[in-house]
Amino acid sequence: MYLKGLSDSVAKTNTIMTPTHSETPATAIPSSTPALPLPNSRLVSLDVLRGVAVLGALFISVWIFGGFSNNQQNGLLLKSKGYDYRLFGTVDLLLNGKMRALISLVFGAGMVIYFFSHVKKDQSKAGDYFTRRYMWLMLLGLVNALVFLWTGDMLFHLGVMGILLFPFVRMSKKGLLIAALVTTLIYCGKFYWDFADDRKKYNKFLLVQAAEKKITEKAKKDSIDNIGRKDTSARVMKDSLGKDLKKDSLAVKKDTLTKEQKRDKGAWEGIVNQMKFDPKKDEGERKSVRKNSYGRLWNHFLPTLQSKEAQWTYQKGIWDFASMILLGMALFKMGFFSPGFSRRNYWLLALAGISLGLLLGWFRLHYNQITLQDYGKYIERHWVPYNFFFPLERAFTALGYAGFILVIIGSNALNRFWRGLAAAGQMALTNYLLQSIICTLVFTGFGLGNYGRFSQTLLYLTVLEISLVLVVFSVLWLRHYRYGPAEWLWRCLIYRRWLPNKLDAGGEASATATVIS
Amino acid sequence: MDSNQTGQQQSTPRPVSAAERIQTVDIVRGVALLGILLMNIPGFGIDWRIFNTIISGSHNTTDYKTLAVIETFFSGTMRGLFSMLFGAGMILFTLNKKETPGGTTVAEYYYRRLLWLVLFGVINAYVLLWTGDILFFYGLCGMLLYPFRKTKPKWLLMLGILCFAIGMLKTMLWYSDTRQSRKEYHAAVKAKEEKKELTEEQQGALAKWQNMEARQKPDSAEINRHVGKMHSGYATIFNYFIPRNSGSETWGTYHGIWDMISMMFIGMALLGWGFLSNKVSGSTYLMGLLIGYGIGIPLGWIIFDKGWAGSYNWGAYVDAYRAPHWLIYDFRRLFLCLGHASLILLIFRSRIVPWLMKGLANVGQMAFTNYLMQSIICTLFFYGYGLGNYNKLQFHQLYYVVGSVWVFQLIFSSIWLRYYRFGPFEWLWRSLTYWKKQPMRKNNGNGV
Repeated sequence: MYLKGLSDSVAKTNTIMTPTHSETPATAIPSSTPALPLPNSRLVSLDVLRGVAVLGALFISVWIFGGFSNNQQNGLLLKSKGYDYRLFGTVDLLLNGKMRALISLVFGAGMVIYFFSHVKKDQSKAGDYFTRRYMWLMLLGLVNALVFLWTGDMLFHLGVMGILLFPFVRMSKKGLLIAALVTTLIYCGKFYWDFADDRKKYNKFLLVQAAEKKITEKAKKDSIDNIGRKDTSARVMKDSLGKDLKKDSLAVKKDTLTKEQKRDKGAWEGIVNQMKFDPKKDEGERKSVRKNSYGRLWNHFLPTLQSKEAQWTYQKGIWDFASMILLGMALFKMGFFSPGFSRRNYWLLALAGISLGLLLGWFRLHYNQITLQDYGKYIERHWVPYNFFFPLERAFTALGYAGFILVIIGSNALNRFWRGLAAAGQMALTNYLLQSIICTLVFTGFGLGNYGRFSQTLLYLTVLEISLVLVVFSVLWLRHYRYGPAEWLWRCLIYRRWLPNKLDAGGEASATATVIS
Repeated sequence: MDSNQTGQQQSTPRPVSAAERIQTVDIVRGVALLGILLMNIPGFGIDWRIFNTIISGSHNTTDYKTLAVIETFFSGTMRGLFSMLFGAGMILFTLNKKETPGGTTVAEYYYRRLLWLVLFGVINAYVLLWTGDILFFYGLCGMLLYPFRKTKPKWLLMLGILCFAIGMLKTMLWYSDTRQSRKEYHAAVKAKEEKKELTEEQQGALAKWQNMEARQKPDSAEINRHVGKMHSGYATIFNYFIPRNSGSETWGTYHGIWDMISMMFIGMALLGWGFLSNKVSGSTYLMGLLIGYGIGIPLGWIIFDKGWAGSYNWGAYVDAYRAPHWLIYDFRRLFLCLGHASLILLIFRSRIVPWLMKGLANVGQMAFTNYLMQSIICTLFFYGYGLGNYNKLQFHQLYYVVGSVWVFQLIFSSIWLRYYRFGPFEWLWRSLTYWKKQPMRKNNGNGV
């Protein structure tokens, strides 16, 4: 079969970077490869995973879309009881970061598939298609961020990663696994590094605090002394007048904090303030997001967008995505997605991954609470930040989910439920963009202006509803068209020509629902 | 699958051999490489607030004149030439290689090469401690060029200008923001003078502008702290530079990319037209020289004198101008680059100083090594863990250091290339790219 041939060829070509490869072609290539546009027969396992991840991601994204702010989350964590807390904790444990991880995993596999299927067609153009594909994705991400106003856009980052990790597509399984491990550890290290920075700030703050205490004590003492002097003997005053004056003039300088000390103090206080729960904190943001002119919203979101695309990417994003993408490449080459592992292995992975992930997640939430209660104390007592193992947590959970889903859909032909998800996954790009459009319209002032008005429950219900609409839309769309509208546009841009999208009523239609088990 | 491959495409990808190199490209690269130190030396050797002192002081000092010359003739142009040659180099790298059937594609080699370059850039910034590193950005920018390697020169030029336009738009957005703050500040001042109670917003506007002005004033305590740091040991400077480097790599990538990628596109166009490879007529170069310098130099002077120096009185400047002078900085750069390149090619064609041209070509051929060596030499000369000359020289004296480095690099490159095929870092870079130790000595190579 075409797909089987593909993964075999990948397995055989993945010798590590050798400049002078043997002249023999990598594999026996199936001779009947179709001309562009590319394969209709898709890896359904990847589609299902992608569908789950894209829809699941909205449960977390909606926090930002809908105005369930960090501040409120901190409030719930501090309260640590009640329905809202449990709901938040559950969603956070099950989905936060895990869906992004799952998307990256599938994305990595997709990179390998895409590149090598093009290499087989025309080696000299594979690089062009590949790089164009991800550069257009970057641009689509910019549109999603700058036009649809989604500050949490991830397409831009995925596009960047596609380009950045291009040199890894040919790496061996082992090399990729090592690379994934190293990037995961660097990601953990990044959290640690932030924590170490905070620790430094805290220590400086303590020094300033001590200095401040001395100053106030001295001031107190001075005033008592002065009273004493006045009350008792003029002799003391006379004797030490000259001396004291001198001393005082020196002391005056020390009586206030230096500029640097003030800065050090402010730095720590800023951190603490940021973490502090304050019900009034979100008011400004709510007012701004509910503003009804598009231009104002745009101006309001721009700084957030830019810092997400620049700072977050540089500091965390690269490692967040790279680790999972590399793992996805490795898993693909190991046959994880197709032809698949044994059922036993999938079950083991699901069980181990999810339970380990949840355990780590539970610890994360627990230590997050302690951090919020008193960060200074936390720093004194702990060596690593509460989120130190987050990169592992979400990797384990995402792997567990992948294993679980693969074993379920592998057991028999897809039922309606999974077929719906597969359709949503096949149109993941379209659905992802639609999510932004719908949510912007539901929540910002440009649309219905519900930002900050929905309870958590209502937010998740909204997400469910949106997901249902998207699934139905995807299924219906794919009955008539080969690709989702955004996917189709993307492909036209990559191949620089108008590609047919309509399906003929007969043979072609079945291709979209092909099951590969 | 052979349908798309011509008969020649049988040889395996390998580094460009000496015979295939285009000498004029190497020469221009050599000039740019040496010239870039003109712009970088203050970053290595002196606290940047010296510029305030020079500009606000007498205009009759050697320092001022030096600065004026550097800013008018060279600022941004050496970087510009370097970017142009980087773009051209990308084409030379990818088009000189043939695909091996079933082997690693040329695209992959190209991207591996760039990813290593990004890593070298990180090392140059964080380990060699050069905060002005460009390799990091070049590596990333280069990754966006690949799909354009076969684009027609005309379109490449348009793309370059489009990137200029994006940069200009960004500048304008920022400047009109500033003007807005200034307007609000004026309104607040007026309200204050009229003894009206200030609203919270007005107070904010007042404080915002005052903060901005305060930040521009040199603070001697701050300078002393900075200079003290620069005279410390390696570990201190290493830590001191971490936030700087991460800041500049972050924002440089996101906002500064247009500066580089625009020139890379234009460089690709110039190579396509044969301008960089000495394939156009002498009169074209003469025209390039006249137009380039004729427009570039006056613009350069205006941007320096009116824009740069003028804006030291920031409030008045913002009041006076609707757009900043440096809005056209990129066009000035382009014209000056054109002038510089034409001049170099004219000198090359006239054969008046063949020894110098050969030397420059050697420097250019080892550009990567020489660039990293500038970091190594200058940090060791200026920073505390080396000779500790930071902030000890006067501004114009820095250029004596530049001169010495130039002489050293010209001689070193010529001697090195007499025995070896590549510069040491080029060799390392190539070996990493091809994941195989490359032949280094001239005589065990392919008989060059």
